[in-house]
Amino acid sequence: MKVTGAVILILALAMGILSQFTDCLSQGRLLMLKDGKTTVPMKCHWTGLAEAAVATPLGLVGVSAAFSKRKETHRALAMLGVVLGAVAISLPTWLIGVCSNPMMLCNSVMKPALILGGILVIGVSIVDFVITERKLEKVG
Amino acid sequence: MNLTRLALRNIAGSAFRSWVVGLCALLVAGFALGTTLIMRGAENSLKLALGRLGADILVVPEGTQMKVESALLMGHPASVWMPQDTLGEVAAIQGVAVASPQLYLSTLSNASCCSVSNMFLVAYDPATDFTVEPWLETKLGKSLKLGEVVGGRYVFTPEGEQKIKAYGYPLTLKANMEATGTGLDETMFMTFDTAEKVAEVSRVDAEQPLVIPAKSISSVLVRVKPGVDPQTVAVEILQQVPGVTPVESLNLFQSYRKQMTGLLQTVTLVMGITWALCVVMIGLVFSMAAYERRRELGVLRSLGATRMFVFRSLLTEAGLLAILGGSLGAGLTALTVFLFRNFIINTIGLPFLFPGPAALAGQIGIGLLAALVSVALAALIPAYKISHQDPAVAMRE
Repeated sequence: MKVTGAVILILALAMGILSQFTDCLSQGRLLMLKDGKTTVPMKCHWTGLAEAAVATPLGLVGVSAAFSKRKETHRALAMLGVVLGAVAISLPTWLIGVCSNPMMLCNSVMKPALILGGILVIGVSIVDFVITERKLEKVG
Repeated sequence: MNLTRLALRNIAGSAFRSWVVGLCALLVAGFALGTTLIMRGAENSLKLALGRLGADILVVPEGTQMKVESALLMGHPASVWMPQDTLGEVAAIQGVAVASPQLYLSTLSNASCCSVSNMFLVAYDPATDFTVEPWLETKLGKSLKLGEVVGGRYVFTPEGEQKIKAYGYPLTLKANMEATGTGLDETMFMTFDTAEKVAEVSRVDAEQPLVIPAKSISSVLVRVKPGVDPQTVAVEILQQVPGVTPVESLNLFQSYRKQMTGLLQTVTLVMGITWALCVVMIGLVFSMAAYERRRELGVLRSLGATRMFVFRSLLTEAGLLAILGGSLGAGLTALTVFLFRNFIINTIGLPFLFPGPAALAGQIGIGLLAALVSVALAALIPAYKISHQDPAVAMRE
């Protein structure tokens, strides 16, 4: 269980940090409003911030999973991992989104990295959940 | 207990060994699939781009071949010009069936008058064009009118807007072409009339005007008469029309093909080293495992198991680990390459098209086969040795 906890922590850190450096704002790209003077960040910037907000509890899930010894806690953390992984995927794809141009960094790196990270978090959490369930069945 | 169950029990009973072998199988399958996907994807993409161009010869201003290839293949806008009279001179060459001119333009970068930034624009002459027009006839049943455009796969109207603004002029996107994995996917096609109208409007409405040099064109697409050798026509063009470079379609994108060959050599070398290391590692792990389990296997033999049964049980164990690790490796690689396909195009500087389901399944099969063969090969000698050891000696040691 220490291994799955460490993997989730690493994935959370990677997703949280990467999303801060692959949005269009970090590349100096801003959206020009119709007045031709005012600039605002594009939506990938807000996805990056929201992703940092998801990565924080996900990291805590990883730390807790690595140090927790109670099987029931492990099971609950694994379920939380699945939910947070799904939220991490839905932020760049559905909830907020990224810029439409497929060649922009947010679309070509941030979005796929967050989807892949989310899938891995869900996969690792499911494996953790199944192993914990089996152990609980044996004990029970 | 049958062979598979015995192998599964052994896998579950030695987690570390199983992880190492599984990881090696994952690496082999992942590398084999990744290499095949990228190289085949680049090759298919080049073929599709050539097909989309549809010309036997591309005539460009002298010394601009690389720029034009980069524009067509990677979508990096090119500004190249030659006199309009070139068209007549090329058309007059014996063996030329059709010669059609094109203008290469681009939108402005980060300008409020352009809703798409730094996009490659191709203007064509509908009267002579044989690349976009036939496709339009099939798809829309009519030609483009003033202010209408067609785009590559990734050209779209920005969210919340009805038209694509270029130099302050609103363009209507009529249709999108199929993906090629090249710069053509991010290119917008319009008629000469629309390009001239955009240039006219840009003088008032754009941050910078669109300048189309008077009586100039960027390239001439040539289709030769049936039965005529394109090489002969290309040589004629080179000799008779000054200041131009005729590029046969077979020689088009040569620099990219060379780059692809170079990449293939590097990837093959890395893959070879990884494969060799993995095979050695799996061999070592299985040798250690066979040594550790000599008593257990000795008991099995003394209980009546044949040499072949022991040999097959070890190979089944290796095969199962190869399939598990290989499937995970192939799945992760396919997912990663699919998700990061645009990043791959930007990074390796080559066009890339992800394969369809049937081709993908075939390539995944190759990756799995590579993992299975590698693991079986590495486990063969230790499995043979331990299965041929005398059970009494094995248990006493």
